[in-house]
This record gives sequence, C-alpha cells and structure tokens, in this order.
Amino acid sequence: MNNQEKNKEDLLRQYINPERIEKAPEGFTSKVMTHIQIQTVPLKSAGRLRNKNLVPVISIVFTIILLVTAFLMPGSEADPSALPVVKLIKTIKLSLPEINFTSIFRFNLPALLIYVFIGILILTLFDRTLNVLFHRKEE
Amino acid sequence: MNYKGDIFYIEQVLTGKSNSFSYIVDRHKDKAYNLAFRICGNHEEAEEIAQDSFLKAYRSLKGFKMKSSFATWLYRIVYNTAISNVRIKKKGVLSLEDFPADATDFIGSNTSEEDAEKEYRSSLINFALQKINEEERGLISLYYYEEMSTEEISDVTGISKSNIKVKLFRARQKMLEIIEKVEKKKLIYHE
Repeated sequence: MNNQEKNKEDLLRQYINPERIEKAPEGFTSKVMTHIQIQTVPLKSAGRLRNKNLVPVISIVFTIILLVTAFLMPGSEADPSALPVVKLIKTIKLSLPEINFTSIFRFNLPALLIYVFIGILILTLFDRTLNVLFHRKEE
Repeated sequence: MNYKGDIFYIEQVLTGKSNSFSYIVDRHKDKAYNLAFRICGNHEEAEEIAQDSFLKAYRSLKGFKMKSSFATWLYRIVYNTAISNVRIKKKGVLSLEDFPADATDFIGSNTSEEDAEKEYRSSLINFALQKINEEERGLISLYYYEEMSTEEISDVTGISKSNIKVKLFRARQKMLEIIEKVEKKKLIYHE
C-alpha cells in the first residue's frame, strides 16, 4: 500500500496535523539547565562526605593491621609469654613522673589509668592528624 | 549555518562541558514536550515530564550506547516517564458533555472561522486522545505527530512491531468512534 492510499484510508489524518505540535514553553532550556547545575553540586558534596567517612575507616584498618602484624610475628619459644608483643610490653620501661594524686585530690588513682590517658591522647592526636590531612586534600 | 550533530554535543558533555547539553535540549525540547503533552493532556504536567526526561537523559548520558539515534533514546525516556506519570495520577474519565459542541466556541475576538475550525479539530483530537489509554496515546502521538514508522516506535516503546500495528488499529478505531459521536452531537446541536 503506498502512502497516498494509506492517507486516504486513514481518517484520523484529516484531524491530525503533524505540523501543529505543542511547543515547549519559553525558558524551558534555561529551567532544565538550572536543574542540572543544582543537581551536580550535591554530587560533589557527596564525594566530600565519602572522604570524611574514610578517616575512621583508615584508622580502624591501620590499627587492625598493626595488631595482626604484632600477633603474627613468630616467637622463638613455645611459651605464650615469648610472643614478641608480650616481650615488647615487658621491656617497655616508662619513666613517667610520678604524680601524687593524694596531694591534689583526696583519693588515689590506679597506675593503669595514666597509661589509659596517654593512649587516649595519642589516638586523639592521630585522629586529628588524619582529619587535617583529609581537609587539606578537599581544598 | 554551523550545524553540529547530537553526538558532538554529547561528547562535549561527557568531557565535562555540561553547558553543551543546552544545545541538545534546545534541539529536542518541542518534540519531547509535544509527546509528553499528548500522553498526559496537561501543559503543566507535560513541562514537568519533559524537564524530568531531560534530567534523566543527562544523568544517564554515559549509558547512551549510540546504537540508536539520540532522539529515539530520548523519546524512550519521555514515553516511559509520561506513561508512569499518568498511571500514578489517574484521572477521571471525560464525558462527551465535556467537549464543546461547536467550532464557534473556539472563535475569539481576532480569530477567523477557518482558524476556529482548525482549533476545534485540534481540541477534538486532544479530547479523543484523553479518552483512550495512555499507552495508545503514546503510540498515536509517535505515529501521527512524530511521523515515526512502526519499527522506530518499536525502538522507543519496546513493543513488537506486530503488536504496535494491532494497538494502533484499536486506538485509531476508538478515536474515530469518539470523533464520530462528537460530530453527531454537533449535528444535533445545529438542528
């Protein structure tokens, strides 16, 4: 069937004029482009958020690697106390100034707490360093 | 005229020059808007659908394989967005009484009788389109307004060629029945 015959048969063509199309309203392109620009900004900040989340992840991974390495290092004796970590702890000789808490407060703190405080301080410094590093990277 | 194809601007966008997308929007906005309007039958919704479709196209531009033309790919997005939009916002069925009986109803202060008749026919088609389902509306629009072949429509809609022919036949029949009823009403009105 050629086009002419088809057109004759197709009654709807009497009513439909393909040239009479509904045109997009004025400013349509600029509206679409504005939406695109707005939507691309949150994509960048999503990337920043991902970088921020990397800080604790790296800290955890780093700590785990250190622990695993320490425990897996071969010891020379069968005795568990011969483990390099245990040995290392035993050889640590800290010469921290002795603080007499009773002179300040009316109670005495266990000696272990001093180590805990120092540990927290080191971890905080480590966390801050990583944080500063990643902030610089963003800029 | 310095005419560059869609592919040129798509490559520009993919290299980070997002502003090049405005050339693509400018080139296809009317056809995208028209297709959306024929399916949803409302100017505000059509604008929303067309905008949404361009945003979807922008976001998934990397996924455009360039196997089909950009227009076909874009129409597929517009068609699917419009169909799902209409399905969500299902409206009540229009009755014949909702359509004006006479072309004189379309005559404004500066309109000739001929223009009024054209306006009447155009409104009658829009009315008949709203009486058939959204899928049929999309097919009629692609076939008659975009003047696509059944093969091209198949690329856009994902419906097989033979099925498109059947669906187009049914949609055409339904629309002609509606038009006939309105025309009869017009005759009665004049008597």
